[in-house]
Amino acid sequence: MQFFSREHLRSVFTKPTNYINTNRGEAYYKALYEKMRKRLDELKAMSPVREADIKFEKMLDMWELSRRDFLKWVSATTALLMLPPNFEPLVAEAAEVMNRVPVIWINIQDCDGNSEALLRSSAPTVDELILEYLSLEYHETLMAAAGDQAEEALEKAVHDFKGKYLLFVEGSIPVGMPEAFTIGRHPETGVERVQRLAKDAAAVIAVGACAAFGGIPAAYPNPTGAVGVMDVVKGKPIVNIPACPANPTNMVGVIMHYVLTGELPELDSLLRPKFAFGYRIHDNCERRAHFDAGEFVEEWGDEGAKNNFCLYKMGCKGPFTFNNCSIVRYNDGTNWPIGIGRGCIGCSEPDFWDKYATERPLAASNIRPPGLNGVESTVDQVGLGILTATVIGIGAHAVASLVAGKKSDENNQ
Amino acid sequence: MYEKVKRMTATMRIIHWVNVFSIITAVITGLYIANPFFQSFIAEPAAHKYVMAYNRLFHFFAALLLDVVSIVIFYLYFASRFEKVYKKVIPTKQNLKEFWEVFLNLITLNRRKNFDSTHLDSFNAVYFTVLHLLLLWMLFTGFYMYVQGLESGESAIGRWWPALLHLATDWVGWLLGGHAGVRWWHHFTMWLILSWVAFHIYYQVWRTIFWKEGDIGIVFGGYKFKKQPKEQV
Repeated sequence: MQFFSREHLRSVFTKPTNYINTNRGEAYYKALYEKMRKRLDELKAMSPVREADIKFEKMLDMWELSRRDFLKWVSATTALLMLPPNFEPLVAEAAEVMNRVPVIWINIQDCDGNSEALLRSSAPTVDELILEYLSLEYHETLMAAAGDQAEEALEKAVHDFKGKYLLFVEGSIPVGMPEAFTIGRHPETGVERVQRLAKDAAAVIAVGACAAFGGIPAAYPNPTGAVGVMDVVKGKPIVNIPACPANPTNMVGVIMHYVLTGELPELDSLLRPKFAFGYRIHDNCERRAHFDAGEFVEEWGDEGAKNNFCLYKMGCKGPFTFNNCSIVRYNDGTNWPIGIGRGCIGCSEPDFWDKYATERPLAASNIRPPGLNGVESTVDQVGLGILTATVIGIGAHAVASLVAGKKSDENNQ
Repeated sequence: MYEKVKRMTATMRIIHWVNVFSIITAVITGLYIANPFFQSFIAEPAAHKYVMAYNRLFHFFAALLLDVVSIVIFYLYFASRFEKVYKKVIPTKQNLKEFWEVFLNLITLNRRKNFDSTHLDSFNAVYFTVLHLLLLWMLFTGFYMYVQGLESGESAIGRWWPALLHLATDWVGWLLGGHAGVRWWHHFTMWLILSWVAFHIYYQVWRTIFWKEGDIGIVFGGYKFKKQPKEQV
């Protein structure tokens, strides 16, 4: 190919960044449809992990969810995965064959908030139902078993579904102080546990800011040396679904993508799925007009707060945070932090616990600057210090020059 | 008798004042962007005010001017027909000596002046280069933050532009620990530049007063004056 040929130049100058292509052309979607069809047929041919499980329709009845609720969910999930509407039947079918995919869900250093986010909705939701319907082989919070029985269930699941199960990890892993986390009668540390279970997993999915980047347990001074899954597990496909808590919609989206294609979704440089983390909160924020207008809330409850002004001056970190909560929101689209007037703390970004979670803009926050560990001063204090030192230096030189200047004048005379 | 010495061409002076006003604009608007220091209580719908948006617009235009002008300056460093600055920056023995002599002149309060002050000296040449290194650092950190807003990968001038910015600046985020670190450094470097400006202005005024050669006139009229040795008069 010639360097200056039109095709080559186009390929050079249209290098994809984190661009999300929402229309990839008919040929692509046709091929994708065929692929998904084939995958679903394969899954259908397989028997459910547990024969005795209830059928999906029955499950909907039991949860008092109408067919209409389910179809609404199907439409929303299809859109979330950026698939055209003719994929909806596939997504519906995928939900029904979910019980063919074994899932092991473990908790390390965390508050169980991500499981809670999925479970504690105001009314039963389809997302929640999917979690119930999934072949969830082990989940410390949800399972009925306890003690030895639970440990047995885990060993059995790892043995039976070797290389097939999805490992969901919730919580950070204490690397600096491994004994900070042990569980069960045959205790193993968090590091050992994650590494052992990840070894036989098809993929590891880190749910929540803790599992993804260390989260609150990794906050300064990080006493347990907490890190995320991707710092401990090597050589396995990993998906990070950060945020505190991770949005259930995104968890289900990743599972759906896996069920539909047998592959993990496209990821960004922090291993976050692009369909969810390819958007900056700031750019889809309902208060963005007030940002551009320079209308800011100055204090909680002031006139600006009453008028839904921008929360940037109250420390909103939306401009640096990539997540789709400004679009899909939380709790079935009920609301989200900026919607309730609180501002974003950047919970889907690494280090948000030390750097973002303040109630003032970064420039006015008392944040330990990187590279200057331990210096508890803000940029402006340090900067103004340097400027002051310069001015003092100048002043000293000027005064000295005046005095010396007079002397040399005298000498000249 | 005083001899008139040309030190700055019209182009150089225009470049200087473009830099001055760009830096002033960038600092004022940048401080507003970092922490909006005035509130716009104008009884108009949000869509009509655009205060933050104008601040960002002016900030970006100031940055754009600084960057473009810096490219011109970089070119002139090597190719100027009037005065090739790079010749004064490379650490040759003569340049090192001149740098040291000019520095001694400053700290001995003009009691020692063993260099030719009719042309650009090494000390100032190095000092100007420092500013451009600071501006380059601002360019990398600034564009790192700028491209965050182009996450769709599209821009008004095509997809090559965000792609190029990612290629050129993603390492900054890796180096400084993400957006928070980059913001911190971008803001902190502003203070370094302000300190640079403070010394720059002081030094030029000090030279004017103590050397008695009208140095401050260089940046306005392009000329300074040099006392001719008595023998020649």
